[in-house]
Amino acid sequence: MPPPDDPPSTTTAATKTSIIDSLGVEIVGVMSPVSICMLLVVLILTSLSSPSTTSSTSPPPVTAATLIYVESDSDSPSHKLLGAVLDAAAFVALIAAATFVLVLLYYYNFTSFLKNYLRFSVFFVLFSMGGSIMASLLQHFSIPLDAPTSFILLFNFAILGVLSVFSPAVPILLRQSYMVSVAVIVAVWFARLPEWTTWVLLIALALYDLAAVLCPHGPLRILVELASSRDEELPALVYEARPADSSHPVSPPASTPVASLGSVEMQPVSEASNSNSSSVDEEERSPLVSSPPVVRENLSNFNHEQVRESNNSNHAVVEMETGESETLPLVEREGFRSSSNSDSEFEMFDSTRGIRLGLGDFVFYSVLVGRAAMYDLMTVYACYLAIISGLGCTLILLSVFRHALPALPISITLGVIFYFLTRLLMEPFVVGASTNLVMF
Amino acid sequence: MRCRLDSLSLIVCLHLLSIDGDDDKGERSQIGDTMTVAAGVGYVLIALGPALSLFASVIAKKPFLILTLLSSTLFWLISLIILAGAWRAFLPVKSTELWPYSILILTSVGFQEGIRIGFWRLFKKMEDMLNAFADRVSKPRLFLTDKMQLALAGGLGHGLAHAVFFCLSLLTPAFGPATFYVDKCPSIPFFLISAIIALGFVIIHTFSMVIAFNGYTEGKRKDQIFVPFAHLIAALITLINLVPGGCNIGLPLLCIMAGTTLYYSWQLVWRRLTEHQTTRSSD
Repeated sequence: MPPPDDPPSTTTAATKTSIIDSLGVEIVGVMSPVSICMLLVVLILTSLSSPSTTSSTSPPPVTAATLIYVESDSDSPSHKLLGAVLDAAAFVALIAAATFVLVLLYYYNFTSFLKNYLRFSVFFVLFSMGGSIMASLLQHFSIPLDAPTSFILLFNFAILGVLSVFSPAVPILLRQSYMVSVAVIVAVWFARLPEWTTWVLLIALALYDLAAVLCPHGPLRILVELASSRDEELPALVYEARPADSSHPVSPPASTPVASLGSVEMQPVSEASNSNSSSVDEEERSPLVSSPPVVRENLSNFNHEQVRESNNSNHAVVEMETGESETLPLVEREGFRSSSNSDSEFEMFDSTRGIRLGLGDFVFYSVLVGRAAMYDLMTVYACYLAIISGLGCTLILLSVFRHALPALPISITLGVIFYFLTRLLMEPFVVGASTNLVMF
Repeated sequence: MRCRLDSLSLIVCLHLLSIDGDDDKGERSQIGDTMTVAAGVGYVLIALGPALSLFASVIAKKPFLILTLLSSTLFWLISLIILAGAWRAFLPVKSTELWPYSILILTSVGFQEGIRIGFWRLFKKMEDMLNAFADRVSKPRLFLTDKMQLALAGGLGHGLAHAVFFCLSLLTPAFGPATFYVDKCPSIPFFLISAIIALGFVIIHTFSMVIAFNGYTEGKRKDQIFVPFAHLIAALITLINLVPGGCNIGLPLLCIMAGTTLYYSWQLVWRRLTEHQTTRSSD
């Protein structure tokens, strides 16, 4: 059947916006940095790993995770497993102790000490650990860059990172990039651990995370409750998936940010409004879904003055007076009756804080994918998909449960399962078929 | 360095090639390095070029489509793992005989087409949920173009998973300074053949999902039968590659099959859109 002369016009469809246009923005906003982090870690590891894997004589780095037992190739599997379990137990105990110390310090308001410690640790990670990675990359690719120049560049990079982690005046995109860089550098270092130790450590950390966030006396849960009872930001290095076009300090500055090695929980979009109609619909169970269009229009239409004049300790409440034309674009678009609902406005504004994911989650996802990359690319893709789907499940659970949830357990479990399934089952099948050019 | 080994030692050969390439890196000139990286990138783009452009133009704009793509990729991966688990006891299959591979293909294609029906049921449920949600926030329900875009994203997810697992994961040595030829096909490098086959299958998977969803929605038998048929024929065509010198015939046939699927889906979509347009304008 020949196509008609005039193509069907879809103008009527194009002028109306469909609901799938803006659904799931926040989920993708969290998944993209996780994907970018994993991609960078895989790239760095695959380009740097070839000289070291051929020489098995290079000793693994002496870290907290290899305190008890250092794996060597000549041991039997049961010996390796036992050693790995001991190592993982020691590491988890260390992390738990550090988190308890953190909670104590936060409880007694040693905030400036914590803040400076965090600054120092970010500088250390970016300058010294990042510097050694940069040195090996320069060496590997034979890039002609002399030592003083690279020192200056590295120093600037590290200092800017330190500044951007705390100051609310720094653009959100820069802060997000530095968070991802810190996670990439730490993950590259962790991925150098021996194989069995890495896997057992990941599983142990997933279990610890589950316990620490969900048990009533778990350290992370205490931390979250303290922070929310004081109405402050959570004292940890977190990645905030706020929309990048916001240039205003919408939420209160992180007053007590604290380094937390096991910062592995997610905070929900607090009290996110899910009403584009005039009544707050309690049954609406998709806050992540409907708030984004509201949020983005809000942020791009607000003026500085409006934000500042109505700042209180927790939210920057914006009085949406019906006379103000700047705020009305949102009103006109959504048919929102703003005069009667200051409640929903409060809630709507809370939701601009966005989903927050701890940096520890980034690190351990990337460690898992990096370790999978050391075997083969097929396992990398399988583990990537498993982790992303675990993250999606966790986000959905977050919208259902509405309090802080551990982000590690589901993803790590799925990742480990998929890694071993792919390595043992799928690889012989697929490689055998595709090398004979038989595909389906 | 040519590596003429059979497929059983391919994995060893692949690792050897990648290690060899990197050891020589210090002595090799920069031009040699970039040429080989260019070859690797070229193979990736042959396999994934249309998929990437589809992604950038249609799917990247709507986050929900990205999520659909990721979940359909996961679905395909899980189905592949189940298949591999079922076949594990019978591996490795001797490559000299045709019949084990044909049974393998028949079972795999049958399983995947069954999964497609399951996928369609999930899609219907999701459509109902989305429509209910749209009613609650008083926005218009899903348009026909939305549904087709969702089908496209689902199909692209399947195609992407196929390309990644069957082609890209074996492409690592292509970034080094050597190449590889399979015994059965001495005229074309292995990487190029697998890239072209992956391209064909990406197109077939993507558009057969569109056809299948339209067929199940409308209840048209012709569309419903076309999809498994096309998939099966395409998979059987790759069996021709087992015969020595067969890839010279198999590759063009596969491309013709991909073109047929593309044409069929184009006609189908065109017809549906014009019908939809006329019914809307006549209301």
